[in-house]
Amino acid sequence: MRNQLSRRTVLRGAGVSIALPLLEAMAPVSVQAATGYGRKKEPLRMAFVYAPNGIHMTNWTPQEEGSGYKLPPTLEPLRELQSDFSILSGLAQYHANANGDGGGDHARAMATFLTGAQARKTNGVDIKAGVSVDQIAAAAAGRRTRFASLEIGAEGGKTSGSCDSGYSCAYSSTISWKSENQPVPKEKDPRLIFERLFEGTRAGESKQMRANRLKFSRSILDFALDDAKRLEQVVGQADKRKLDEYLTSVRELEQRVQRKSQDESTSTKKMTKPDGIPDSYRDHLRLLADLLVMAFQVDATRISTLVFANEGSNRSYDFIGVPEGHHSLSHHRNDPEKQEKIKKINRFHTEQLAYLLKRLKSIQEGDKSILDRTMLVYGGCIGDGNRHDHNRLPILLAGGGDGRLNPGRHVQYPSKTPLMNLYASMLDRFGVQDNMHGDATGMLENI
Amino acid sequence: MATLLVSLFIRCAHAVPFEDVQVLLGRYCVDCHAGDDAESGIAIDTYTASHARTIDRENWRRILRQVQGRAMPPDDAEQPTDEERELIAQWILDDALKVDCAGPERPGRVTIRRLNRHEYDNTIRDLFGVDLQLAQTFPSDDVGYGFDNIGDVLSVSPVLFERYVDAADEIVRTIIASTDVEAAPRRQFEGKRFPTRGQVTRDFTLEDAGKYVLRVRAWGDQAGNQACFMLVGLDGKPLRKELVRNDRNQPTDFEVALDLKKGEHQLGVAFLNDFYLKSGPQGKKLDRNLNVDSIELIGPLGVLPESLPEFHTRFFQPPIDPAATVTKQTEAIKKLLNPLASRAFRRRATVTEVESLGRIFSLARRNGETVERSTQLAVAALLVSPSFLFRMEMDPDPGDVRDLNDFELATRLSYFLWSSMPDDELFGAAARGELHTEEQLVQQARRMLKDDRVEALVENFAGQWLQLRGLEEVSPSRKKFPTFDDQLREAMLRETELFFRTIVSDNRSILDFLDADYTYVNDRLAKHYGISGVSGPEFKRVSLEGGRRGGLLGQASILTVTSDPTRTSPVKRGKWILENLFDAPPPEAPPDVPQLADGDSTQLTGSLREQMEKHRADPACASCHKMMDPLGFGLENYDAIGAWRDRDGTVEIDATGELPSGQTFDGPHELRRLLLQRQDDFRRCLSEKMLTFALGRGLEYYDACAVERIVNRLQSDDDRFAIVVEEIIKSPAFRQRESGESQ
Repeated sequence: MRNQLSRRTVLRGAGVSIALPLLEAMAPVSVQAATGYGRKKEPLRMAFVYAPNGIHMTNWTPQEEGSGYKLPPTLEPLRELQSDFSILSGLAQYHANANGDGGGDHARAMATFLTGAQARKTNGVDIKAGVSVDQIAAAAAGRRTRFASLEIGAEGGKTSGSCDSGYSCAYSSTISWKSENQPVPKEKDPRLIFERLFEGTRAGESKQMRANRLKFSRSILDFALDDAKRLEQVVGQADKRKLDEYLTSVRELEQRVQRKSQDESTSTKKMTKPDGIPDSYRDHLRLLADLLVMAFQVDATRISTLVFANEGSNRSYDFIGVPEGHHSLSHHRNDPEKQEKIKKINRFHTEQLAYLLKRLKSIQEGDKSILDRTMLVYGGCIGDGNRHDHNRLPILLAGGGDGRLNPGRHVQYPSKTPLMNLYASMLDRFGVQDNMHGDATGMLENI
Repeated sequence: MATLLVSLFIRCAHAVPFEDVQVLLGRYCVDCHAGDDAESGIAIDTYTASHARTIDRENWRRILRQVQGRAMPPDDAEQPTDEERELIAQWILDDALKVDCAGPERPGRVTIRRLNRHEYDNTIRDLFGVDLQLAQTFPSDDVGYGFDNIGDVLSVSPVLFERYVDAADEIVRTIIASTDVEAAPRRQFEGKRFPTRGQVTRDFTLEDAGKYVLRVRAWGDQAGNQACFMLVGLDGKPLRKELVRNDRNQPTDFEVALDLKKGEHQLGVAFLNDFYLKSGPQGKKLDRNLNVDSIELIGPLGVLPESLPEFHTRFFQPPIDPAATVTKQTEAIKKLLNPLASRAFRRRATVTEVESLGRIFSLARRNGETVERSTQLAVAALLVSPSFLFRMEMDPDPGDVRDLNDFELATRLSYFLWSSMPDDELFGAAARGELHTEEQLVQQARRMLKDDRVEALVENFAGQWLQLRGLEEVSPSRKKFPTFDDQLREAMLRETELFFRTIVSDNRSILDFLDADYTYVNDRLAKHYGISGVSGPEFKRVSLEGGRRGGLLGQASILTVTSDPTRTSPVKRGKWILENLFDAPPPEAPPDVPQLADGDSTQLTGSLREQMEKHRADPACASCHKMMDPLGFGLENYDAIGAWRDRDGTVEIDATGELPSGQTFDGPHELRRLLLQRQDDFRRCLSEKMLTFALGRGLEYYDACAVERIVNRLQSDDDRFAIVVEEIIKSPAFRQRESGESQ
């Protein structure tokens, strides 16, 4: 804080002839040391990957418990990785249920998955869920990397119309919530994600151009901050919240710009820059997976969410022989033919997960792979899609958690064990003190 | 809320006495909802008739939702009959939530609205005269109440703010030409690695004579007692001899300023002092190499007057004297920035703001930046500040209501009708204080509706009201619908847009939406519809005969958006009609009852109908599905991409249906006739949707008064489209603002 003040003084001081220093130069060494930025070579990571509309649980849940269980059909694509993940059965997300709020299970599922909060039923005014576990981790530990967290997915928000039974579309398209009122939108364009993460620059921009651009960004941001602070004094209460979001975003960028120059060398191209959103959904998911892997690899961030599709998505999977809409199919009413098709979709998603996990596993960092130093949750907030079951959730926990997880097993928990307990345990391992959220009752043992 | 409003007016057949309701509430609810520790804080036992109307509406609304949604009483408690639920609901709507329009009308409160992506692009276009469409890279805007311009859900995330900064940078570089080296055009030549002595030449042709910079980026492999020597030459003459540093991670840029003529040139780079020892002092190999990473020719520097951006020329009037002191230049630039900042902020910029902008300029100037670059920075600051990105409106004192000022009204008007900033005429009127009477506002609105920028109302209001934007995401099965492609998708969208635009521009009756004898098609769509005599990709107005199509419900855009990838979905079509034409969405499905499973590609329509009818035999489903399904059945002659069909596979299409009212119909033509009888519901629906869009907030109970005024005027004035717009902008909700806090 003190540093910020002194910098302002430099800029505002009467002697404007003082040279305007590069932003980078203004980040004091002590700050860099305190945050350990760029110091720890082999960090622990955390990721959450979401698949919508439920999973046909018969083909997901293993028959046996413990290790060496027989892989059910939906998990088969993960065969090579069986010792790298566990299936955690019996977890529930209580607040995804109506609890008096009526219809809207899909919206609630998405909004509750990482927050454990009962989403307020509103189409807009006073939108409210909870802070999501990835954002809790990011707030606590995100300062160590250039990006506190990364939120990506194959689908953006819906652009019109209503989404689910009186819930604003923000609920059914967002799993990351920065505050209980602020959903964090996903980025879906691989090119834009790449540029933001690894280049800090735009197409055709030279090093000098960028340096030139950054050189004065301080004074530009200061103008914006002044404006926002002045306005905050005079606007109404609800409007103040909007300006707070704005201020937070400006400050995050400020901090990032300060840290930027140091890891210029990390942006070594390990991946060709994507062109944009590919036509093929499979390619799109793989590019997103690649970006996540690379973000972890160069330590641009340690926390990420990746959403395969929005909750309630009615996407057609024509390319794997399922032309019907996914959401419509998910209400299969026990029709075996429909269940078979859902299995295909579920399996397709597992294949993409397998791709992501294999990539994480293929990269060695010292004695371990990145996957060994990751805690990755894959699943969704609906079990059986037909009934919108939020009590028996498909949850897979992958990675070694830097020796703090014991993967390779199927663990059956008592019925309705809060999913938030899993997150509490993960946050705990991530070094976050404030780890009990939503309906968490304690740590989840035996993970 | 919209549901409530509609119900409010259509359910006024007979009054329900409170005593009847009290008996029911007593029987089913007070077990839990009574006393000091009443569940959810709702103590129904304390509600007496005289008290009922004064208690919080929100509580009654919650009760209504529970009762209608069958969420209460809990399953293990005694359940009221459907009639009893209906009775309670009706009383709540007619009595507890009744609105009195006699007194002063509450304007409500709009949360400050961030520009959404469309508004951002349009505003930049109108502010600078360049259409850059940069917002496509912004994260998508969240939708509330069916629209993406709702203040409450438009937030600013860190990613979005970064994009604002990037966009601002790109905008200022586009609108103001800079003589910077870094902003000049550049051509790249391939580099070369020199393992031994040698040279490389590159040929190029210049179209313009002028000042150029040649930049060579190189590094050396050091060996022996000399650094690498590199020679840069042009047109056969040596220009510069350089020592190249030995650091592959930090290549050095060598720059040579050049005055070049138009025409052909050749540049050359040579490595002069190769050195090689197979076995050096420590037995190691010694090898000196030169690595040229890249060669760039930058220029011509400076911009010729005729190629200056239009904004640049317009903005620097009068030009800034390059010879003047920075202080003088700063004074001059402030005079130019003041009107720009005022337009960007949609109000008069304050002295402090202009001072701050001037400071950015002078700071950059004193750091050696050019006048143009320094101006760019000041303008970029404008574009990332909240006064630009948000449509600011200050609250009145707690408990108070205030009239919006003329600038705020100009802004509300222009973003409502154009999704953009006010134009000069609106600003002028606001500056003169001529924009607050009803007549002045209406006069401006009429002018604006005739302007081409009203296309934004089509894209943004119609695009969302009718869910046309969903068309982009549909993916009809290629196998089942081989004729569907992006061209057809595009044509479908355009038809509905042109149809809507006609109703706006020609101020036609809004009942055209329900049934019309004209539409717009090009060759592609005409073929799809089986209309002959239309050729070429241009859209033409055609008259519709034979009753196969007419109005929105005969348009492929809407029929496709409401279908599944493999087949039609009568439920979705029915739901779409109820939601978007009559604003009477069916009650939500109870949480545990799965939706009807559509999506079976092998299902024939005949049996699909049977299947659906079976579903409706379940009383839990019947009450809603009997409202939705028949409407959808009436459209069964249109397949999942809106083409006409008489049979589905081998099964004859059955497009008959019976509405809950008992009215029956056969086919889309008769269905349309019946829907036209509900024109009051449609008037109300369109009014509510447009009011929501215009205000940027969900409607509240007190907005019913404004809606009722619109409906009444539509009835008496031939349903002209402009009436809806005019009555909205005349309403207190549009012209005033109340504080968010109570006294």
